[in-house]
Amino acid sequence: MSESDIAFTVFIVDDDPAVLGGLGRLLAAAGYPTRAFTSPQEFLSKHDPDLPGCAVFDLAMPEVDGLELQRLLFASGVERPIIFLTGRGDISASVRAMKAGAVDFLTKPVSSEALLEAVARARDLDRKARQHRRETASIEARLARLTAREREVFMHVVAGRLNKQIAGDLGTVEKTIKVHRGRMMSKLGVRTVQDLVRLAERAGIRPQTKPETEEVEG
Amino acid sequence: MVQEMGGSTVPTSMGPHSLRARYHLGWAAGDLRGPILVSVAYFLGAESAFVVGTLSDRIFAPFWPPNVILFAVLLRAPVSRWWLYVVAVVPAHVLAELHIGMQLVPMAVALATNCMVAVLCALAVRQQLEGAPWFGTLRKASLYVIVTALVVPALVAFGGAFVLIHGDAANGNYLFAWTQWLLANSLGFLTLGPIFLTWFGEGWRPWSGLSAARLIEAGAIAIALVVVSGLAFHFAANTVEIGLTPALLYSPLPLVLWAAVRFGERGASAAVLVITIVLLTLALNSSSLFGASQPERNVLALQVFLISLAVPVLLLGASSEEVRRAEAATRESEERMRFAASSANIGLWYFERTTGRVWATVHCRSMLGLPADAPLNRNTIQQMIHPDDREAAIESMRAAAFAGEDVVNEFRIVLPDGQIRWLRARAQADRDKHGVPVRVSGVFIDITGSKQAEHDADLQRRELAHLMRVAVMGELAGAIAHELNQPLTAILSNAEAARLLLAKPSSDLTEVVAAIADIVQESKRAGAVIDHMRGLLKKDARPPESIDLNALIRSTVELLHSELIARRLTIAFDLAADPPPVFGDAVQLQQVLLNLLMNAMDAMAETPPPLRSVRVWTRAEGDHAIQVGVSDHGPGVSTTAERRVFEPFFTTKPHGLGLGLSICSTIIHAHGGRLALVNKSDGGALASFTLPVQRLSVAAE
Repeated sequence: MSESDIAFTVFIVDDDPAVLGGLGRLLAAAGYPTRAFTSPQEFLSKHDPDLPGCAVFDLAMPEVDGLELQRLLFASGVERPIIFLTGRGDISASVRAMKAGAVDFLTKPVSSEALLEAVARARDLDRKARQHRRETASIEARLARLTAREREVFMHVVAGRLNKQIAGDLGTVEKTIKVHRGRMMSKLGVRTVQDLVRLAERAGIRPQTKPETEEVEG
Repeated sequence: MVQEMGGSTVPTSMGPHSLRARYHLGWAAGDLRGPILVSVAYFLGAESAFVVGTLSDRIFAPFWPPNVILFAVLLRAPVSRWWLYVVAVVPAHVLAELHIGMQLVPMAVALATNCMVAVLCALAVRQQLEGAPWFGTLRKASLYVIVTALVVPALVAFGGAFVLIHGDAANGNYLFAWTQWLLANSLGFLTLGPIFLTWFGEGWRPWSGLSAARLIEAGAIAIALVVVSGLAFHFAANTVEIGLTPALLYSPLPLVLWAAVRFGERGASAAVLVITIVLLTLALNSSSLFGASQPERNVLALQVFLISLAVPVLLLGASSEEVRRAEAATRESEERMRFAASSANIGLWYFERTTGRVWATVHCRSMLGLPADAPLNRNTIQQMIHPDDREAAIESMRAAAFAGEDVVNEFRIVLPDGQIRWLRARAQADRDKHGVPVRVSGVFIDITGSKQAEHDADLQRRELAHLMRVAVMGELAGAIAHELNQPLTAILSNAEAARLLLAKPSSDLTEVVAAIADIVQESKRAGAVIDHMRGLLKKDARPPESIDLNALIRSTVELLHSELIARRLTIAFDLAADPPPVFGDAVQLQQVLLNLLMNAMDAMAETPPPLRSVRVWTRAEGDHAIQVGVSDHGPGVSTTAERRVFEPFFTTKPHGLGLGLSICSTIIHAHGGRLALVNKSDGGALASFTLPVQRLSVAAE
């Protein structure tokens, strides 16, 4: 798996230097740049959240354990796929980890297939997440350029209202709505209503649907 | 009837007669039986003396038995009844003296002096000889002779002499009368007295206890004595050449000595009595060796001869009796000791240093599995000792034999049938008067049973300790698995990395080499964990070894590494720099440490995480001991628990067995130390133990 476009880095945190070294060497041999940390504190203070990559956490560590580290990381606003390694088959911990969004929960000693597969999945997730974040960011930038009236029209269009209905709702004439709608569509860079709805979905905007419009959408 | 039986406390000599007497006639009639008999005997004694007294007109009686009779009776009677006997002899005395026409005054003096001799002798003998047996030792016999044949008659003779010279001017020699009175009484006390005391002093059947052969022997001596002395003494003095006299006089002596030696004081007194009777009889028939011209001289010679024969023979008899009694006592006590020893399963023995001979009781031989008649010497015993114990056992016996020490040691012996027994030997040296040990005497005690019990208990203790170790390991299984997982993870990762690296067309061999080096190192680490675990799970007893407590503590904590993380606990060390080693079983001591650490960890389950720390310290106590402490920040121990924590099956944990601290305490005790559990002043519990430091001499071995 050659990685040329972006350097996907694996951040490994384990209090056992020998395990840290072994995992690092394996992932490096598989072609991943790695960063190794022997304590959660070191990881939290030194790692670069902007670098694409995933994290491999040992579950049982003194003072701050893996789950705690996951919580601290997410709390600081860093979204990074996490793979947990554990010495014991601790089911409750694995459930908690997965619920909190872990990529995988692997038992030591971990086979390279399982680890590399999990890392590959984490890379996909990371890539998608980053892409999603990028898209959302550009949509949000475009939405920000709309006037208040254009934004109102946008919301109504996304909700599936016809121009005439929108004009009625907003207390104006259909012609004016057409002008606003054209300007809004061009500012957002879409041509069709379908593209507009998809963009709204990506931006996480939920249309305020009304019962009769559902049928239209359907 | 029942009432009468119950009240029967009268002397046994009175027998059933007294019962009847009390019932029908009151006490007096029954009680008078003795005094009346004494009265009769006194009369007969006086009469016999008067018969002998016919030898000389100038001598009242050369031999005076009545006093002895009264004396013998008083000796056996309670003092409170003496007056009865004294009163009883009055009519006998009066009757006998009237018979020879004695006047009232001398008769009264004679009665007074007679009673006085009997009473004084009885008092003195009772006081000095302290009851039956009256003779029995040389000392008692000598005292008897001095008191009854010398001191008392000599004193009373000052009064008695008046009887002889009263109203007879011709016999007015006071000194002569005194001598006569003394000799007559002495002779009585030397011839009849011992008969009463030795033959009837302890019962009325003196021959009981003698076998038929002994009775025949005694009879033969008596007959021979009568015959020999009868023949020897019957020659009239003037018919025998003067040179033959000593030979004749000495001829009965072998028989007399025979009687004294073989039959003790009874034989001696009987022989003396026989000779006395024979001589007196012959003298009365005027055919005696003591037949010179003057009858007074003859009587004196007779008296002196008999007294000088009686005294040494009586003393000889008494001393031979003493020896015999001592022998019997020794035999009896030996018999008792043997019985006690064999009942207690103790074998007695002694070892003669010079000859190498060993004497042993039958029981001792049977303990050794040897027949009662097998020859026994140092070698036979040494060869029986188990080869592993032989050298030490011989060494300790040597210490007893040559250094004269009292020693105790334990060893195994192999019986002829191959059975192995444990013996405890206790030996001491017997020294001669220069303090040189001449022989070693001692006992063997069979301690196989207690050794077996000891061994069983030890085995059980070890089994239990092992079970507890297994239980602790079970509790720690997760943590131990994790300890193994770490190196295994590193090994697997490195191996996979190496494989990936080698699969690449342009392999980076330095990285592969590094991966392999890590694999090697981590394999060793995993091996160490397994070794450690296997050591703790091992059941066999191990030979004691030198142990560095600090290192032992560190390796124990290493074993707990994952458990500490899982429980969010930390351990702080405060270890003495370079402590001297202790001596013992590392696995057992590690078990103790593990147990104390786990207890401390369990105690802090409710403690807030920042405070969850265990402190382990070691401290030198002078140069003879090391103290190890494990303290926690838990709730501590309650006062009731503090008292009982070392009891088996006492636990404060919901699923505890209550054996941990009890076993720890046993282990520490077996190492010569003591385990204690107390509450710290600032909260939490402190478990500590002290172990003696290994001595240099032991370390050198």
